Amino acid sequence: MGQRDVVQGTLEMLILKTLAHEPMHGYGVALRIEQMSKGVFRVNPGSLLPALARMERAGRVKSGWRTSENNRRAKYYMLTARGRKSLSEEAETWNRQISAIARIMEA
Amino acid sequence: MGLLNNIAQGVRSLFQRDRIEREMDDELREFVEASTADKLRRGMSAEQAGRAARVEMGSSNAVKHRIYSATWESKMEIFWRDLKHCVRGLLHSPGFTLIAVLSLGLGIGANTAIFTLIRQVLLQQLPVRDPQQLVTFGESTGGGVLGGIDLGTADLFTYDFARQLEANPGPFQGVATYSSFSPQVSVRLPNTAGALQISASLVSGNFFSVLGAEPLLGRTIVRFDADAPDRSPVAVISYHLWQQSFSSDPAVLGKPVSINGTPFTVIGVMPPAFHGIQQELEPAEIWVPVTMTREILLQPGFLEPRSFYFLHMVARRSPQSQLATDQGWLDRQIRDYVRAGEGQTIAPARQQEIERITALLVSGAHGVSQLRSRYGDSLTILMAIVGVVLLIACANLANFLLARTIARQRETATRLALGSSRGRIIWQSMLEALLLSLSGGLLGLGLAFAATRALIAFVARGAAYVPLNASPDSTILLFTLGVSIFAGLLFGLAPALHLARASAMPAMNAGTRTAASSGGRTSRWWPKALVTAQIMFCLLLLVAAGLFLRTLGNLQNQDFGFERTHLLIADLAESLAGYKPEQAPALNQRVLERLSAIPGVRSAALAALPPISFGAWSSSVHFSGYTPGPKEDMGSELNRVSGQYFETTGISIIAGRPISPTDNATSMKVAVVNETIARKFFPNGDAVGHTVKIDIDTVEGPWQIVGVARDTKSGNPRQEPHRMVYLPIAQILDKNGAGNQDSFAHTILLRTEGDPASTINELRSAIAGIDPNLPILQVHTMHDHMEAFMSQETLVSRLTAIFALLAVLLASIGLYGVMSFNVARRSNEIGIRIALGASGAGVQWMVLRESLVLLAAGLALGIPIALGAARLIRAQLYQMSPFDPMIFIAATAGIAAVTVLSAWLPARRAAAVDPMASLRCE
Repeated sequence: MGQRDVVQGTLEMLILKTLAHEPMHGYGVALRIEQMSKGVFRVNPGSLLPALARMERAGRVKSGWRTSENNRRAKYYMLTARGRKSLSEEAETWNRQISAIARIMEA
Repeated sequence: MGLLNNIAQGVRSLFQRDRIEREMDDELREFVEASTADKLRRGMSAEQAGRAARVEMGSSNAVKHRIYSATWESKMEIFWRDLKHCVRGLLHSPGFTLIAVLSLGLGIGANTAIFTLIRQVLLQQLPVRDPQQLVTFGESTGGGVLGGIDLGTADLFTYDFARQLEANPGPFQGVATYSSFSPQVSVRLPNTAGALQISASLVSGNFFSVLGAEPLLGRTIVRFDADAPDRSPVAVISYHLWQQSFSSDPAVLGKPVSINGTPFTVIGVMPPAFHGIQQELEPAEIWVPVTMTREILLQPGFLEPRSFYFLHMVARRSPQSQLATDQGWLDRQIRDYVRAGEGQTIAPARQQEIERITALLVSGAHGVSQLRSRYGDSLTILMAIVGVVLLIACANLANFLLARTIARQRETATRLALGSSRGRIIWQSMLEALLLSLSGGLLGLGLAFAATRALIAFVARGAAYVPLNASPDSTILLFTLGVSIFAGLLFGLAPALHLARASAMPAMNAGTRTAASSGGRTSRWWPKALVTAQIMFCLLLLVAAGLFLRTLGNLQNQDFGFERTHLLIADLAESLAGYKPEQAPALNQRVLERLSAIPGVRSAALAALPPISFGAWSSSVHFSGYTPGPKEDMGSELNRVSGQYFETTGISIIAGRPISPTDNATSMKVAVVNETIARKFFPNGDAVGHTVKIDIDTVEGPWQIVGVARDTKSGNPRQEPHRMVYLPIAQILDKNGAGNQDSFAHTILLRTEGDPASTINELRSAIAGIDPNLPILQVHTMHDHMEAFMSQETLVSRLTAIFALLAVLLASIGLYGVMSFNVARRSNEIGIRIALGASGAGVQWMVLRESLVLLAAGLALGIPIALGAARLIRAQLYQMSPFDPMIFIAATAGIAAVTVLSAWLPARRAAAVDPMASLRCE
């Protein structure tokens, strides 16, 4: 199976999950999603950056400019309290759906 | 907080576009660099890594656009851009925009103006606590003083009955009373010379508390103020009076004012919106306790038990009580009161009659309004008419916008082909429509303000103070906004639907003109349907205008029974100047002598009332030789007149002789009756020689009937003439031969040689020569006086005619526009036809025929609708059929002429098409 886009409607949840550990810049988020999915999903900047902008407007993440590990200025995103809450809600919904689908597929 | 944060960020980004742009660039560059670095680490060459990272990113502008699109301010910017585009488009064709905004402004303005009046006359509730709990006993629209009637007749009650219910309100929270009319009183303020003539209202002690009306300053009249006759000379004044005559002095409380010569104390000022329960032109401006009636009406005896019926009543219902319970209780009280007034034994027939007496409880939430009963129906009709005018304006706009849409077909097709969304294009077309309608609404608001002022001035007819207001308040603004948006959506619909269906391909492939002229079925169907609708509506309005104008004409030109030209009327208020009844006969004589001496006056007369008036002096009467049947209505109107009254008014005598100057205090008491009485009670033509007795103490009689006068219309010009008994004013005297209360004349009538208006100054100086303090309340010619009796018909017919003309004008503009546009886009087809040998006349006929088909369709739909509408307004018409064929023919001919004319000009242009030019154009 080659690389593909993330499952529809889950991008924001995956971003929230990635940012839950530590603040990251845009490429960091993309890289982390690719790594954690063992290369199954990849996110291109054309979808990632607008999603981050949308989430920032919704108050789920906030951003700030910092110096990155290799000494460059980069825009870092971090979770807000609201973002943390919606992450746990979305994760729960997602788990319920996954197990329901799994039950149907096993039957 | 999320929303606020979002708005704050958006606003910041709007003002810091450069910084946001730079940050986005930085972020994108950083992303690519991080990606490149990562790829290098994984072993790609520098060149490969850079290219791969850039490929991942794609077009950085597209990414930036997508980031920006995630925000609300981006949508606002798009909206702003669309708006600018629209405005530019509209300014590009100023002629179209001007006509569109103007016609919408007129349509919306008319609606706003009529609605402003409807709201104030029909919809506004009294400014009191829980107005929906208030009920009046009967409609209570008429007012006056009656004697010898059953309680509740004409919704009038006596003081002792009102007192009884005030003390024991039964199921009601409270029952209050007020004088059924607002008498003019002469008010003198401290430290001022002149007296003011003001309408006063007499109210019970609980009037303000039952209404739940709170004063602005001081206190209202309370129970203590009105608990015994002549108790408490206190007055509550209106805000308007406080402002006008007391300069809004906060120290007005406790100030003395003299009302009809009696000192009163001002105890309170009401808020601006309060005019009592009666919503009238010239509303009451001063309220005094009903126990002060003698001082206000300058006549004793009103408070005696079972004496005069002069009060209206209002009650506040209790929320727990059923309406039927309340009604039943009230009727029981009224019947018990009537029964108690009968003799020992009551005949069974009378018993049954008493059981039928009732005073219907009527909602008083909107107050009691003669204005409403007089103009309510007219305003409703006018509202429907202005609605139709607006629909016609909308149809015009729909057609124009549709034509523009079709003309822009190629542009639209190009945009669609380039990937613009259809939704966006439809939205832009709706935006254009809304922009036009809102501009029209703004203009309409201004026009409505001017129009409403004019309407109020018309309705007020020179009344000193009218509680109507032309200034738009928030409700009016909201109404105008609503109507504008509704209109915009309505006429934006046709072009939007056209756009929604338009397909990109044909317009792109074929030549513009061919495509436009074959524009698809919808593009041909819509304009035709709209023009048909306009013709239909115009016909409707023309018929309505015709019916109303004919009605007004019938009313004005009918025979009133008296001569209307060369007649001057003046209202005299002797009792306000302090004259006592005993002085009246001598005063009358002096006034007559002085007036007759004015040069240019052919004859002068005095009377209680002019030949036609809103008020009436009436009583039940008895004729010798006539035995009334059980319960027969023996009521008649009365007038007391001086010697030359019949000569002055031009009422002819058809039998016997008129009342003459020789009928004086010493001669035999005589009377003249009118034809209606003679016909009804003396069918053998022998009225002269019989006598008449009247149920009013001051003029009891018997009076010898010496003549029969022609019938006159003494009140509502739509009604048949009433019964009338004329008495010589010089013979109305008490037993000792002195004048009594009814010896006062109140009305001066002058028949002049020339224009009666030119005698007004001489009249005033003649009266001032007798007594400078003798007030003349009003002077006008009979012609002006009569207008008040047809003001409602005049208003409706004039406005309907204006609106019908406006509608026809709009429709002709619309028709002309549609036809011109059709000819323009078919010009190469027409060119080919001419090239192939079609004659000019043939081409003209082809275009004309199209409009004649529309005319026929419009008439086919419009005539049945107009017939139906005419039936609905039947009650408003006078002495004519609602299906008057002449009016229908005239209206049809009118709209046909306009249709043919507006189609003929484009048709002529079609015939003049140069075949070579149009062929080469392609």
